[in-house]
Amino acid sequence: MIDNRYVEISNLVKAYPNPFGEEIRVVDGFNLTMQKGEVIGVIGHSGCGKSTVLTMVAGLNEISDGGIVVAGKEIDGPGPDRAVVFQAPCLLPWMTTFQNVMMGVKQVYPHASKQQRRVIVEYSLSVVGLADAMHKYPREMSGGMQQRVGIARAIALKPKVLLLDEPFGRLDSLTRMELQDVILGILDREKITTMIITHDPDEAIFMCDRICMMTNGPHARVGQVMSIDFERPRNREEIMETDEFYQYRQRLLQFLDDCEAEKHGKGPIRFDQPTEPAVVQVG
Amino acid sequence: MKFKILKALDVAGLQVFDPVVRLICGENPPEQFRKILLFIGIPIITFLIFIGIWTYLAPRHTTKAGEVPTPGVVKNAADGIWVFHVRENQKAEDFLLEGPAREKALAGVQARIAELTPLASAARTKLGELETASKSQIDQQVGPLQEKYNALRKQTRADEKAREEALIAQADSLPIGDAKARDAFLAKVSEHEVKSGTEKQALKDFKSTIDAAYADKFPEMESVRIQYNAYEEELQYLSKRLDYLTEGNQSVKISEGQSELVDLQSAFLTAEGGKATLKAAEKVLKQEESIARIAESSYSRPWTFPRQIVRSVACVFVGFFIGSAIAIPLGVLCGISRVFMAALTPLIALFKPVSPIVWLPIVFIIVGGFISDPETAFVHPAFLSSAITVALCSLWPTLVNTALGVASVEKDHINVARVLRLGFFSRLFKIVLPSALPLIFAGLRISLGVGWMVLIAAELLCSSEGIGKFVWDMFNNGSSQTFAQMFVVVFVVGVIGLLLDRIMIVLQRSVSFDGAPTAI
Repeated sequence: MIDNRYVEISNLVKAYPNPFGEEIRVVDGFNLTMQKGEVIGVIGHSGCGKSTVLTMVAGLNEISDGGIVVAGKEIDGPGPDRAVVFQAPCLLPWMTTFQNVMMGVKQVYPHASKQQRRVIVEYSLSVVGLADAMHKYPREMSGGMQQRVGIARAIALKPKVLLLDEPFGRLDSLTRMELQDVILGILDREKITTMIITHDPDEAIFMCDRICMMTNGPHARVGQVMSIDFERPRNREEIMETDEFYQYRQRLLQFLDDCEAEKHGKGPIRFDQPTEPAVVQVG
Repeated sequence: MKFKILKALDVAGLQVFDPVVRLICGENPPEQFRKILLFIGIPIITFLIFIGIWTYLAPRHTTKAGEVPTPGVVKNAADGIWVFHVRENQKAEDFLLEGPAREKALAGVQARIAELTPLASAARTKLGELETASKSQIDQQVGPLQEKYNALRKQTRADEKAREEALIAQADSLPIGDAKARDAFLAKVSEHEVKSGTEKQALKDFKSTIDAAYADKFPEMESVRIQYNAYEEELQYLSKRLDYLTEGNQSVKISEGQSELVDLQSAFLTAEGGKATLKAAEKVLKQEESIARIAESSYSRPWTFPRQIVRSVACVFVGFFIGSAIAIPLGVLCGISRVFMAALTPLIALFKPVSPIVWLPIVFIIVGGFISDPETAFVHPAFLSSAITVALCSLWPTLVNTALGVASVEKDHINVARVLRLGFFSRLFKIVLPSALPLIFAGLRISLGVGWMVLIAAELLCSSEGIGKFVWDMFNNGSSQTFAQMFVVVFVVGVIGLLLDRIMIVLQRSVSFDGAPTAI
């Protein structure tokens, strides 16, 4: 039961007061359920509140209304069980790669021996392909390498949920593809329950099991949810050659266009099931 | 190797020498020459121009302490300060010498005296000869002038008298009540007075040329005089050394005292009768006491300038550490807690602009209340009060910068700490302090600079031994030599301030994690 509803986001609301003291609901009634080991992508136009949802799940942002339950427990503030990879690498510049990862590991495995912790750190760094750069400082590394450290730091925590907030947003497209493959490899292998925020449809289709499309803010909520039925482990080239890929893509773009149109008051928007996450079969 | 040196220069903030190193390594010489000309040549030229202006202007202003010293005089004063320091050290060393070392030093001093005495007497005779020669030369020169002057004066006086008499005669025949005639007479009198005035001025000018001739300096004589003075000074110093190597020497004094003690002890052993025995016993004890006192005594060294510099630097660091020990924790608390910041803001705003001149007397009195006897105290109260004044004036930049640094830790880094659920102390020591460190050090650097400036004033006011006290003593001395020594102080203070600043830059850079170049 818990595995099917591993993460439950119900009726999530984020409200900010505007300068006139009125309440503006940026996110209004966001509902989503994630299975254990599922990779969910959240996609939408910029400013629609994707990141707000993610930071609320992470516990970094206060929840105005509604609730988030992870593995049967309602969240209360941030914690290492929900590791976050931000758009910026957020490494501590006075620590080496190793120390940056070790800081989290120490916190999560307080009773492990020094040797065990070392093994964990070295393993997670080798997973992201940084076994050679363990004692470098962030300023000595490229943006892509820094982001890899951020990912290593997150997975070293063995989190219940991995939260990726546009992790490739600041990278050039080559590095971005490399890093997508790195993350895909990790997700294929480790089966971590993951939420990815992105505004790149290809990336979302390529990496996710389900994609949750958000309507435009304010009052942003889940518009549609689309299942992506590619087998794991996935391969970018193979996926790109399938027809499904283009259908998924078409559907996503259509939704985003509709959102844009609705914003300018041109047409209605299709809601499938506002309260329950819908599974839409394509094809 | 080359890059290591370049890196070291960069860290030390001495990038000016970068092209020199590159030139030595043979990297693109024309470019390096251009850079050397720009970064080393031009500053040197500016400095030379400064020296030139100084040399030109200084002798043109005469004060009650003599002429404003030229660079050459200041250089001599600096040498004099150093020689004095070296000699005092030598005397202190001599006082403690014993055994063969003492005898060897003694022999050296005696040899030097034997060498110098004839030189000094020769210089003296030569100086005497030159003095008589110059005197006769001046007399020769001045003699005819003086005669001329005397004649001129006589002439002037006679002229004046004649004019006056003529006027009196004219006045006798003036009709009473004739305003016109009397006006004409008035004009004549005024004419007479103007004429006397110009004549007197001419006399004065003449006299001053004679005075100038008297004051004429004979360069040869001056150089001999300087030489003679140097000999005499060294001889005096050597005779002092002689004293400390013989009668004034600690070991000599002790051995003398001990031989006396042996006599007294034997007298005590053979003393007869109650009163005499008691007296002999008292004498023995007294002698023992005096020997112990000599053994403990040390040469009473005066505060030479180099020692005062060392003391000032020690004082500024004591003050700086007291200040930082207060400022950094307070700053961290201010940065962490808004309540604390709100509580401290009025105090900071109120006390920050207070001048050291106000703090010092207050601190001096308060410290004096804790330390009753300055001689036996662990630290001299004047030293402590200057250090505390330095602390009070220098803690503000550190406090404000620390608060700013702690308050402006990047939000991303705080988020990392929150996700990891770090405790208060590991958050403080692993995230907050490291990220605030560059700003804290920037504050410390400003603080040390402020402290150094404040210290000199503080020492001057509360006469704590140090550079400030030296300046004050020199000012009170008021001779032309001490005037020059005050100029030496200017340069010394500047150079030490510069060095302190460089040290802080190196520290600041070594803690700055982003490798950002620090403003010089």
